Amino acid sequence: MSKYAYFPGCSLASSSMEYDTSFRLVAREFGIELQELDDWNCCGASPAPHHWVEVLGVLLAARNLHIAGAGEAPLVAPCAGCYNRLKHAQYKLERNQELRRQTSEVLGEEVRYQTEVLNIVKMLNREIKPGALAERARERLAGVRLAPYYGCLLVRPAEVIGYDDPRDPKKMEPLLRATGAEVPHFALKSECCGSYMGLARKEIVLRASHRIIEAAVAAGIDALVTACPLCQQNLDLRQGQINRAFGTSFRLPVLYFSQAIGLALGASPEELGIDSLAVEPDVDRWLKGAA
Amino acid sequence: MIEAAKTIRAGEEMLAEIERRSGQDVSSCYQCGTCSSTCTATLAFDYPPHLFMRLLQLGLVERALASRTAQMCYDCMTCSSRCPVGIDVADVIETTKNIADESGRSRPPKEVALFRRLFLRNVCRHGRLHEAGLLAWYNIKSGQFFNDLSLVPLVLRKKKVHLVPPRIRQRRELRRIFRQAKTKPGAK
Repeated sequence: MSKYAYFPGCSLASSSMEYDTSFRLVAREFGIELQELDDWNCCGASPAPHHWVEVLGVLLAARNLHIAGAGEAPLVAPCAGCYNRLKHAQYKLERNQELRRQTSEVLGEEVRYQTEVLNIVKMLNREIKPGALAERARERLAGVRLAPYYGCLLVRPAEVIGYDDPRDPKKMEPLLRATGAEVPHFALKSECCGSYMGLARKEIVLRASHRIIEAAVAAGIDALVTACPLCQQNLDLRQGQINRAFGTSFRLPVLYFSQAIGLALGASPEELGIDSLAVEPDVDRWLKGAA
Repeated sequence: MIEAAKTIRAGEEMLAEIERRSGQDVSSCYQCGTCSSTCTATLAFDYPPHLFMRLLQLGLVERALASRTAQMCYDCMTCSSRCPVGIDVADVIETTKNIADESGRSRPPKEVALFRRLFLRNVCRHGRLHEAGLLAWYNIKSGQFFNDLSLVPLVLRKKKVHLVPPRIRQRRELRRIFRQAKTKPGAK
């Protein structure tokens, strides 16, 4: 049985609980053991490096790497933002001796930063063979058009992330296809949703996210599938604001990757927190369509 | 004349510093504009990315340092992934911002600075982000009392909000991290 240290991050512990719930469910279904990282702290997100030039972001993420480093298991961070910060800290610590010294000084011992860090896509691709998922899914989502939306932090910058293509990522596709769903190409799959500007510069988020939703609807996509809580919130929770700002009436569901896989496994929408999405998909219709 | 020569010289030196720290060759940009066509933040910029690169090429580095582009880029790195020459445009912008910060040449717009500051204060206090607290403080401090209030019934209905802040045990260690970062703002 595979074992992972699990870094939920602040979003999965609060406003994106359905991501946490569905991720744990999928892991359980495939016999993957998740051990939540003890006393983890906020990864620093975007404001840390933007506000205090880099070093705070590295220190905050490094404390988590250090805790994970005490164990043997690799670390999985389903939130694309947390994942990005953890990988970034690792990258900087590897290359900067002074930063390493400074970090060790704050932590009171030699920093352990070399634990393998995985995002949800890499981890599930490693643990679940598409064939095994397809066998259990029995085409449950046939006829549903699910388009992966990767955003930025899951795939960029390539030299830090080193997984998937930074411009034309594809790694969600094999497992999504195994659910029975149709997985159309989505041209805006690695465009930015507007990031963390939702409060301070709302118009940026509304415009960027509107563009993504509009393109998805025009392409006849039934739902976008993402691995980033911030993208999910900008596209889903703010969809009402987007509709008001642009005079549109979009109702495009934006699912988490683990929710899509969970549906294929036959888990109920309640177990997967589908009812926590602002725009809820009509799951019954999806499943009936396939039957 | 001598003043002009000095300005040009200073610009060249600063550009060399940006190129050294980012590891990018600014002169190789041929102004195709792909970066700007893909950028979602131009709305908040004074110079779209390709013009930002042009400023640097022309040695107008002071303008780049003081620009809203440097302060407002949120690093989605789409430009970098699209550049046909392979320039990491986002890194050039970020490096410029870092130099501007270190030398106190520019500041982000006040709402953005406020959001970042409150976010970090929140994390420093609890160890984890308390989203409801951040929204409340941001609205009070910015005077935008109704900002995102339309989302409140929705997040309550969807049980997406925790009223009690989360707390980690080692908050003292967290505060040490913040102190260390504050005293070494320029560490790269």
